[in-house]
Amino acid sequence: MLTRTWSAAEQAESGCRVTVTNQTDAELVAACLAGERGAFDVIVERHRRHVYQLCYRFVGNHEDASDLAQDVFIRAYRGLRTFKSQASLGTWLYRIGVNVCLNRVSVKTPKPESLEPLIAMSDQRVASQAESATESLLRSERAGQVRAAIARLPKKQRATLVLRVYHDLAHEEIANILGSSVGAVKANFFHALNNLKKLLRDMP
Amino acid sequence: MTRHLRDAEFVDFAEGTLAPPRAVHLDACAVCRAQAETVAAALREASAVEMPDPSPLFWDHFSARVREQVAHETPERAAWWALSGVRALLPLVAALAVVVVVSVTWLPRLTHAPGATDALASSHASGALAADGEVPAGVDTQDAEVWAVLAAAASDVGVDDAHAAGMGMRPGAVDHAVTHMNQAELNELGRLLQSELKGSGH
Repeated sequence: MLTRTWSAAEQAESGCRVTVTNQTDAELVAACLAGERGAFDVIVERHRRHVYQLCYRFVGNHEDASDLAQDVFIRAYRGLRTFKSQASLGTWLYRIGVNVCLNRVSVKTPKPESLEPLIAMSDQRVASQAESATESLLRSERAGQVRAAIARLPKKQRATLVLRVYHDLAHEEIANILGSSVGAVKANFFHALNNLKKLLRDMP
Repeated sequence: MTRHLRDAEFVDFAEGTLAPPRAVHLDACAVCRAQAETVAAALREASAVEMPDPSPLFWDHFSARVREQVAHETPERAAWWALSGVRALLPLVAALAVVVVVSVTWLPRLTHAPGATDALASSHASGALAADGEVPAGVDTQDAEVWAVLAAAASDVGVDDAHAAGMGMRPGAVDHAVTHMNQAELNELGRLLQSELKGSGH
């Protein structure tokens, strides 16, 4: 079984304030099941950033990503008894996240934020002083186009690309999450990149 | 010239893990090189897009929303059949069901005298086939207990588990079964079809 554990540094990044706890994810799950609701707060704090980012990459806008990420944690809480402690909670949450996103995408066309600035986004990379305003704008526009193109990829291709490029998961881990083979994951990734290039070429 | 790169190998190239012998082909093949460059360029472009983080205030708000939702929830109890130990036994239960089916339906045919088989067939033909959960007519008391065990086991065995236990039908199995039925079995099949059609309002 492949497992993914996030480093302390990664976990420290997951939001602005991380509750200090020495408990492992498995211990926190056990505490939740024993009725300690505070333990689930810690799980949410620890994993919310990764889950939100996964959802954001899928739908391409903050509002839907926020709703989907919330849904992921609610489903995780309901299904906590089915979580096997020998697996990684991060991978398990990714699996729930991908399923939630795929189901959502199948009933609702994504509405990516393309060129408009994202509301309430504060931690944008600050352009260096040497970089002209025009260059910054062009880069921002291109990033919006890429996000929009990714949001238009077929869902399995999108899932593969998001997990591989933005979450740095190994092909084996992606295969585990998507319930397919490594060969299928690589083939999906190939088609995702090919289609992404075509979509970007067709954009104005 | 060696064969062209496969899809997965283009991915390997873009990620810098292409096997050296295949890289030799890439150097010599303009078609593959162009495709590999396209894939690599798309990967570079996708990788360059930064993930904008929400406002720091968002995270507290998000956690509060989840906490509020969770307050009304209870972790669901895992179904007994989803427990790993029980789940591992399901194929075995399905296999046992097959054994029971064979012992109930085929062994009596092999061991009974032809007259007894005809009696069983005629009782079925006269409409005495069991309803769900009931013991079919013609099954003796000892077999009735076996039948009860079979019915209980079969009610919990899903199609997937039955397939996993090797209970799937071969292509053409239905055709074969119908063409090899005796007259009594054909009569019973006809009666069942008619009652189904009446029940569905056709």
